[in-house]
Amino acid sequence: MDISKDLIAASATPLILTILKKEDSYGYDIIKKVKELSNNELVWTEGMLYPVLHRLEKNEFIESYWKKANNGRKRKYYRLKEDGLEELENQKKQWELVHNTLSKEI
Amino acid sequence: MFDLELNINSWTDHLRSSGKLNEDDILELENHLRDQIDELIEKGLSRDEAFIISVKRLGNVNSLSKEFSKINTDTLWKHLIVDLSDTDQKQTRRDILLVIILSLLAGTVTRVATLFDFWNEDLFVIKNFSFFILPFIALFFVFNRGTDKKLLSYVLGIFALTAFIINQFPSRVPNHTETLTALHLPILLWLVTGVAYMGLKWKANKERMNFIRFTGESVIYGSLILFGLIVLMAFTMILFEAISVDVSEPIIETLVIYAGCAAAITTMYLVETKKSIVENFAPILAKLFSPLFLITMVTFLAVIIFTGKSPFLDRNFLIAFDLMLVLVLGMVLYIISARKMHETSGIFDYLNVALITTALIIDGVALSAIVFRLSEYGVTPNKLAALGENIVLLGNLIGLLWLYICYFRGKIEFIKIERWQTAYLTIYAVWIAIVVFVFPILFGFE
Repeated sequence: MDISKDLIAASATPLILTILKKEDSYGYDIIKKVKELSNNELVWTEGMLYPVLHRLEKNEFIESYWKKANNGRKRKYYRLKEDGLEELENQKKQWELVHNTLSKEI
Repeated sequence: MFDLELNINSWTDHLRSSGKLNEDDILELENHLRDQIDELIEKGLSRDEAFIISVKRLGNVNSLSKEFSKINTDTLWKHLIVDLSDTDQKQTRRDILLVIILSLLAGTVTRVATLFDFWNEDLFVIKNFSFFILPFIALFFVFNRGTDKKLLSYVLGIFALTAFIINQFPSRVPNHTETLTALHLPILLWLVTGVAYMGLKWKANKERMNFIRFTGESVIYGSLILFGLIVLMAFTMILFEAISVDVSEPIIETLVIYAGCAAAITTMYLVETKKSIVENFAPILAKLFSPLFLITMVTFLAVIIFTGKSPFLDRNFLIAFDLMLVLVLGMVLYIISARKMHETSGIFDYLNVALITTALIIDGVALSAIVFRLSEYGVTPNKLAALGENIVLLGNLIGLLWLYICYFRGKIEFIKIERWQTAYLTIYAVWIAIVVFVFPILFGFE
């Protein structure tokens, strides 16, 4: 199934926030997780993910820190902040509204 | 044997050269690339295959950095540094080489001229200063903008002829006309250089407007670069003073001269190459400062009226007022130039009219002061030059005001105002030429 660009862009924020809610993560891992969670349907590009991450950080929904991984490489991790959690609840409600509206039989 | 590290490094270097990513971003992307490569190798791909596929997945660098630049709008100034897309990289290298060569040439000519040490005896260097730099700027326009060769020969011909005439003029104390020439010549020759910028269509309104814009941007850009140079100079001095090494005067002078020339030509290059982005600079500053200038001028007029004090007793103030009026006129022009032709009249049009009116009144007051001084103390070259400039300025302001009124009443299109203004440039050039060439003869070179 081809998912439209607009929908991918719109769903990026809630998906990233959801993943970060469970545990801190980094760019490469986020893309992988999204792919797994969506059964390979949602494949994000780096050019799309990082700008969103940086914007979320700027809006103070998430924060970043550098951490050494097991293989000795330094990775930039992202962590969900209080505001981000609120934003996630907010976005979820919006998605639910859209979903409920779509599911109603007309 | 495929060297993975080397290839990853050259990839990050390429990212760096786009100038849109900071080191943090680059490291983040590099690690992403490495993770991707590791995973692919684990799946059984060879190192070079893994590298190629990973790079491909990360997207081409240009589109990647473009996405990033949308986020990093805080670093918008970075766009002002020329970014290198692959196609015009060659062109850029050529341009930079041109800038370096022309800067060195201009610097050398200036340095040689100053070696004659006419500096203290008469105004030789100051008078001829424009000839040391402007021809090279004209040359730059020819290479960069593809100006017509024939036109260039005319421009350089005018330079040569002017240089010849000016230096034939004898130098007589108290050098009033010579000083006037030295002050006005750069402006006149800048307009001549402008012909090289505008090319064959130098009479056209659009080209002239572009040149006015270019001039304003150059002033802003040049000031930024100059400021940077001054800071650098200051630190250099302090550093050498700290180790008690006395840098000799000639070395400092040489450095200053070369740096100045390089700054001038680099400014031309940057303004020209980054036109589309920089273009927004001057109009924004103009919009920001025009209300402030308006308030200052109105307050000033009110204070004059209420206290009855004349500000024009000292002639130095007369010059300061003229400069301010030119600056105000500049802002009016920039607001006009930034205006979209099809827009209906907005707040800045009314602000412009208020600015023009206030400037007109101040110019009128200044003019009356000059006429008073002329009749009281007799004619001197300085006063006559100031009189002429104020009349030219007055004509300009009245014309603008009149056309604006016509425009508000729906009688003319806005473009008429612009056309009139660019045509009026010629009058400035003519008056300045009179001051430069006729005044010395008129006043016996004194």
